[in-house]
Amino acid sequence: MDNIYLPHKAILTGIQDETYDTKTFEFEFVERALKENFRFLPGQFLEISVLGIGEAPFGVASNPNHPERFRVTIRAVGSVTRALHELKTGDRVGIRGPFGNGFPFDEMKGKNILFVAGGIGLPPLRSLIEPMLDSRSEFKDIQILYGARSPADLVYSDRLKEWEKTPEIRFMMSVDVGDPAWTGNVGVVTTLFPKAGLMTQNAVAFVCGPPVMIRFVILELLGRGFAPENIISTLERYMKCGVGKCGHCAVGHKYICLDGPVFSYKDMMKLSEKVV
Amino acid sequence: MEQVVLLKRELKHWVDLIRGDFQVFVPSRVYGETFFLPYAGHLEPDLLCGNAALPYLPPKDLVFPQSETLFSFTRNAGDVDLSVPERPSEKRVFLGIRSCDTVGLHWLDHFYLNNFRDSYYQSRRDPLTLISIACSQPMKNCFCICCEGGPFLHPETTAFDIQLVDLEDHYLVECNSEKGKALVDLNRNLFSQPDPSMVEARDQVEIKSHTRFLQEPTSYMSAAIRRITSNSVPPEVWTELGERCFDDGGCTFVCPCCSCFGVGYTAKGETGCHYRFWDSCDYSGFTREVSGHNPRAEKGERFKRRFFHKLSYHYVKKDGRIGCVGCGRCITACPGEVGMPAVVERLRRG
Repeated sequence: MDNIYLPHKAILTGIQDETYDTKTFEFEFVERALKENFRFLPGQFLEISVLGIGEAPFGVASNPNHPERFRVTIRAVGSVTRALHELKTGDRVGIRGPFGNGFPFDEMKGKNILFVAGGIGLPPLRSLIEPMLDSRSEFKDIQILYGARSPADLVYSDRLKEWEKTPEIRFMMSVDVGDPAWTGNVGVVTTLFPKAGLMTQNAVAFVCGPPVMIRFVILELLGRGFAPENIISTLERYMKCGVGKCGHCAVGHKYICLDGPVFSYKDMMKLSEKVV
Repeated sequence: MEQVVLLKRELKHWVDLIRGDFQVFVPSRVYGETFFLPYAGHLEPDLLCGNAALPYLPPKDLVFPQSETLFSFTRNAGDVDLSVPERPSEKRVFLGIRSCDTVGLHWLDHFYLNNFRDSYYQSRRDPLTLISIACSQPMKNCFCICCEGGPFLHPETTAFDIQLVDLEDHYLVECNSEKGKALVDLNRNLFSQPDPSMVEARDQVEIKSHTRFLQEPTSYMSAAIRRITSNSVPPEVWTELGERCFDDGGCTFVCPCCSCFGVGYTAKGETGCHYRFWDSCDYSGFTREVSGHNPRAEKGERFKRRFFHKLSYHYVKKDGRIGCVGCGRCITACPGEVGMPAVVERLRRG
């Protein structure tokens, strides 16, 4: 009998420090069949457990075209994330999933794509950015606007440098508060909008970040002519089971774990509770 | 649906025969209230009548325990073993469950056994056969008649196993499911064919039962369903109702349909377990996030959530019916007097 609550064992195969409180973890399933057959969609999430401490949902942050070793980027904020931060390479965790609906991919082909990420909101978007870059010719303009609280809060510093250089994407970043070494834009991510040369026709925007940032970015995008159905974001709620049973992540008649985490702004407005 | 007859004085004999193959739970009196306990050779006939009092709690915990281990783990030499606790495999019969509680269990079945099937629930539910008793006399808080939760079960709305209809010195036994028929088949010799007057008498009991509901707890369900579904209840009404809520979770724990759970984690040395436990959307911690942000920090918002889940047509479409069977236990449990009928009545006034 399938057991929806029993995690699969996975080995921590790599740890990358991102910021003072954020690390990227790479895992591999122990069971061979699972290791070989594991697939996920951009925007889907995993329930990762540190046995005896707890379990929490995390968006996959790596490229779905390379599913055998998958990564999640985690900031240490609560008991589970702090316990994850203490793990060493070779340690075992439990993983269930992938769960959730994921970002649209094929439907985006032939469109101008805008990503607006805030802080730790970049990791889940990266699971969509990377496969889009793998199939670069199938998309029109790809633009990424990334904001963080300070230069020390920027994740994926090596990858950001590549994105700044490559002609395949238009990349800009901003920090709320700079430091002496920072020469870039200072201000919340929306301060990039007037300078960004946004493509607003035949365009879809993917927005991920803290709730207050999502709210202001959506307002800005609406003001610049994006239709609600072309603004796509993710919702987060306290969550336990990941499979629509425990009831915690319900918003109106939707479950973030089953019907989300990805919602268009149009669908968010149809929920009977205020979400943005 | 097959109808047969069992003499009341043969009921104990029947239970004694089936207890060889089943663990039988029967309504039993404890400190003046009725609870389901394992049969130990004694039946209380007045708890097996059409006018018996509603058991204090629904039998929910026998299929969805208040706390249950999901799996345990043992760390050894860098690896870890995970093991799932053995599930009870014993076949069980619940005798004397009420119509509302039967409908509640079927609601839980629909929720737990579809779309990501819950194998823990299923392992307790599959070996279970329900023998319910139709109610000839509703109690003062009963409003099942407003929620398709009773007083009688009908095959069109509930795939029940066996329903007993109390006809003075005998029961009309209605076998609806394969499980129910199989149970009766084990002891066919105890049952006889009904004559037409018995079926007529059964219908009279049902009609009379319908006339015996008090005016007070009956619910204006359709108005409430419409207003909740269209999101047209003013926020201040939810605030007002929320102010009467004590955040105690009592209504959710006594509700035959409430299904939400939390998950806990424990470890001692190299072993431990992950377990689930009943949780309640009444609690402010139900949605509180690690950042401290709480999307339902206000009581009124939590109150709205509970009733949205119970009554909105969005959930009716998902679950096949409203999430209330009209048992009235939330009325008994609530110290703030905001059980289902009171809320529904307030929503109707707008």
